[in-house]
Amino acid sequence: MTETSLTVAVIDPSPARAAILEEGLRAGGVGHVVVIPDGPDLQARVASLRPDVIVVHLESPSRDVLEQMSGLSRQAERPVAMFVDRSDQTMMQAAVDAGISAYVVDGLRSERIRSILDIAILRFNAFARLQRELDEARSELADRKLIERAKGILMTRKGMSEDEAYKLLRRQAMNEKRKIVDIARAIVTAADLLG
Amino acid sequence: MRIRLGYVPLTDAAPVIAAAELGFARAEGLEIELAREPSWATLRDRLALGHLDAAHMLGPLAIASALGLSGPPARLSVPMALGLNGNAVTVSNALWAAMAPESDELDHVAAGFARVARARAAEGRPLTIGTVHPFSSHSYQLRLFAERGGLDFDAAIRLVVVPPPDTVDALRRGSIDGFCVGAPWNSVAVAAGLGRIAALGCEIVPDCPEKVLALPADGADFTVPLVRAIHRAGLWCADARNRGSLSVLLAERAELDSDAGLIARTLDGALIVDADGRERTNPAYLRLGTETHRPAPDHARWLVAQMIACGQVAPGGDAADRAAALYRPDLFDAAVGR
Repeated sequence: MTETSLTVAVIDPSPARAAILEEGLRAGGVGHVVVIPDGPDLQARVASLRPDVIVVHLESPSRDVLEQMSGLSRQAERPVAMFVDRSDQTMMQAAVDAGISAYVVDGLRSERIRSILDIAILRFNAFARLQRELDEARSELADRKLIERAKGILMTRKGMSEDEAYKLLRRQAMNEKRKIVDIARAIVTAADLLG
Repeated sequence: MRIRLGYVPLTDAAPVIAAAELGFARAEGLEIELAREPSWATLRDRLALGHLDAAHMLGPLAIASALGLSGPPARLSVPMALGLNGNAVTVSNALWAAMAPESDELDHVAAGFARVARARAAEGRPLTIGTVHPFSSHSYQLRLFAERGGLDFDAAIRLVVVPPPDTVDALRRGSIDGFCVGAPWNSVAVAAGLGRIAALGCEIVPDCPEKVLALPADGADFTVPLVRAIHRAGLWCADARNRGSLSVLLAERAELDSDAGLIARTLDGALIVDADGRERTNPAYLRLGTETHRPAPDHARWLVAQMIACGQVAPGGDAADRAAALYRPDLFDAAVGR
């Protein structure tokens, strides 16, 4: 389905995640995608953009601002009429699991909303997966460095070869039913403390 | 048993934070994992969809969530209230100067506010005033404050939502002329030299309902121990001898963006109201503790009446009865006895 006539605003405290969603929506055929940063200008920018759909991350502090703009108050000035789409519980659960909320102009057909939310959910989940992989890679690297340091300490203090030092770490870990990196951390901490 | 409890960083989150951090929950066999939520909307959605087991929540928002007026419809119960009062109306120094009330009496202040608001509306530049969420006692207190001065709120005021941590910046930029928020954010604005506390929430509405403990209505088998833990924590918070430790706990663990001394003043009800250091004392400014904990169905009815007054709920339906049924003094009594 082409969404060329739609304007979608993306609000996300993470600029990287916002950029990934923006690109995904463009690739999905949404004609006009605008990233609006959280902050004091948000209300004015949303009011002048008049988006059809706002995709907002759950971590955004601006969600309550959008709720006030959603026509719940009896105000003379009502720049955008929006509502939270509550038609589909499964969709909503998937969206919230992915960290997404959406505000949609009253009257927009639900299948058009669905295609936009599908893209957002896919992109946000992919971003979360990448983030997780990056975190794992970082922590693996940190673990390896710790083990290297512990081996180095054993080699200098006990005159061991690298291979012997590693075997000692591994044996100790097996005896104590702990991970090698935990034993390594204990050795490094003890060496730091005892000098 | 592990409970995930959502809260928004405010002084009146004290009972739930103390319950989690000071051993009150552990004594009941519970471990409370605190989840600091970035907005009321996100807290509401996470509670409705089961991501949270419990929440420190605006009373009106709990009602609106359960009545399907705000966010995904939720099945909730309110076995406990967490406090009364705590809000204040703060205006910019320029607005205060224009209001020029002859005293800090609420009638004088409200009349000054109404006069300036009418003049600004007539010029086509209505005052812009911040609240925290459409469904909040803050919104209702602002309306009642304006009406006290004889002002037609909807006709004269532009109401916007400003996240409480942003209120100081919004005043500095001039994007709002004033706001109604909870402690400690009014005091933070005064300390920054940008605002004047014009009226205390407890002067506008004595013993105004505030935050409640909201739980999923079904299967909350932790209701009794949780209510008991937070009740005991609330008593500890209300004890003046613990003010010092509580202020430090809130400043550190609640990540309240303000120092412990300022938080202690909000707990004591001894507020500095202007840049010259003028102090106003009102022990009812923020009420925590035992007389505030039993949830009152009448509070729910009063809140629905306010929702009707500002057009959030159509008059004549059964909303007040449904809201009153959410408030469960029976669950509170079962947990802590009468």
